[in-house]
Amino acid sequence: MTPVSLGYVPLCDAAALIVGHAMGFFADEGLAVTLSREASWATIRDKLAVGALDGAHMLAPMVVAQSLGLGCEPTEILAPTALGRGGAALTISSRLSLGDDPAAGLLALVDRRREADASLLTFSVVFPYSIHNYLLRNWMCGAGVDPDHDVRITVAAPPRMAALLAGGAIEGFCAGEPWNAVAEEQAVGRVAVRIADLAPQALDKVFGVPKSWASRDPAALQAVLRALARAMAWAGDPANRESLAELLAEPEHLGASSTAIARGLKHIRFDGDIAAKDADWLLAQMVRWGQVDRAEKARVLGLFDPGAFGGSAPGA
Amino acid sequence: MRVLIIDPDSARAALVVEGLAGVDPLEARHSTTFDEAEARAFAPDVVVVAAESPDRDTIDSLREAGQVNPRPVVMFVDRSEPGLAEEAVRAGVAAYVVDGLAPSRVRGVLEVALSRFQLMHQLRKDLEKAKADLASRKTVERAKALLMKERGLEEEAAYRLLRKLSMDTGRPLAAVAADLLAFAGVLKGDGQ
Repeated sequence: MTPVSLGYVPLCDAAALIVGHAMGFFADEGLAVTLSREASWATIRDKLAVGALDGAHMLAPMVVAQSLGLGCEPTEILAPTALGRGGAALTISSRLSLGDDPAAGLLALVDRRREADASLLTFSVVFPYSIHNYLLRNWMCGAGVDPDHDVRITVAAPPRMAALLAGGAIEGFCAGEPWNAVAEEQAVGRVAVRIADLAPQALDKVFGVPKSWASRDPAALQAVLRALARAMAWAGDPANRESLAELLAEPEHLGASSTAIARGLKHIRFDGDIAAKDADWLLAQMVRWGQVDRAEKARVLGLFDPGAFGGSAPGA
Repeated sequence: MRVLIIDPDSARAALVVEGLAGVDPLEARHSTTFDEAEARAFAPDVVVVAAESPDRDTIDSLREAGQVNPRPVVMFVDRSEPGLAEEAVRAGVAAYVVDGLAPSRVRGVLEVALSRFQLMHQLRKDLEKAKADLASRKTVERAKALLMKERGLEEEAAYRLLRKLSMDTGRPLAAVAADLLAFAGVLKGDGQ
């Protein structure tokens, strides 16, 4: 058995790792996987950098940030497979009545507060390098609200969001499922817009591995990818939806209610395919929001390559 | 120097504070969660955060937003001593320093935090092992008592029989004892 350490952050789209472990798909491939739940993306990043993790559930833009050394020491990370799309959504506090058109409602509210000299509304995203950050910003721009000056954008961990909303520390958040469903279940917020409404193909979570590990043990990487593909096929099968929700709901995994998880799962597509156009879209977002220089295009595209180290696109 | 420790495990945070007290003239504070307004009021020179804290991404992102936060923190990576930062990551402790602090002083803080995290980890492991040892000793005692009663053996002979079973099967004494108790339970009709 080949020992492999994998990490994830408690979210519905970490299902492939949790299922692969619980259902023995990794073991079937001759892998002895140690799976660890991590409380933050920063810890995932640092553990991958020092080799305390061999691979992890990651935000797709994080792969670019870590490879280019944005906000951290550079470590080249490859993302040979996606883990899930469609889970990102913007939830707005039930205290804000924005009407039937949340975009127009927000603009009117921002204008009123500016005239009254009131404090800026605060919104949280899960990480600076996340499609959640871009989704929130793009949606606000479409509404006529300037995300850099008209509101305050902070970072908070997804499992904290509902409590922050309930406590009035924030007015809205953009995070992955099940944490939007949890906020709705607790009646503290309502989903205003989903990634499916703005950019349905957006690459959200990927499986990231340090290039150093991938090149040292390409056979182990391919075994992990086969197990993940099998786990995604299982997770995506509607017949397994209920068992999946129960598995994810366990306290050592997501620790949220299985009803909220089941509702969140409805929005997620477990599909490992990853293509050049995914990287193109990500790059465009990162350039638009001043995180990456367009000159890095070739490097960025090379990170999202299902064919690296002898692989083929999982599920292809 | 002011040190802020964010750790959901407040016993461990207290241990870090205690360790820091002997190092340097400093003021250390600990909290289970990170509150930006409180942190700003305290104005720490160093923030030590446990990897288990979900607030780590919040602290990590503050340095990305220099114009909003008057006290930007940056991640501490000590190039002069590559092993330290790596060891800290593995032990589950991260440190952020406010610009302008001498690296040697930061290293001192991180070393103390790291050693206290490792100490706490060792203490917890020892405690778990002590509990497990106690539980297996109890199992062996019960299995021994069962053999003495059912087979009419002396205590010494019952123990020798268990030891022989353990050696013959190559399994730990406690595991053999637990099996024996389970089988005896089944024979008596338990668990049906």
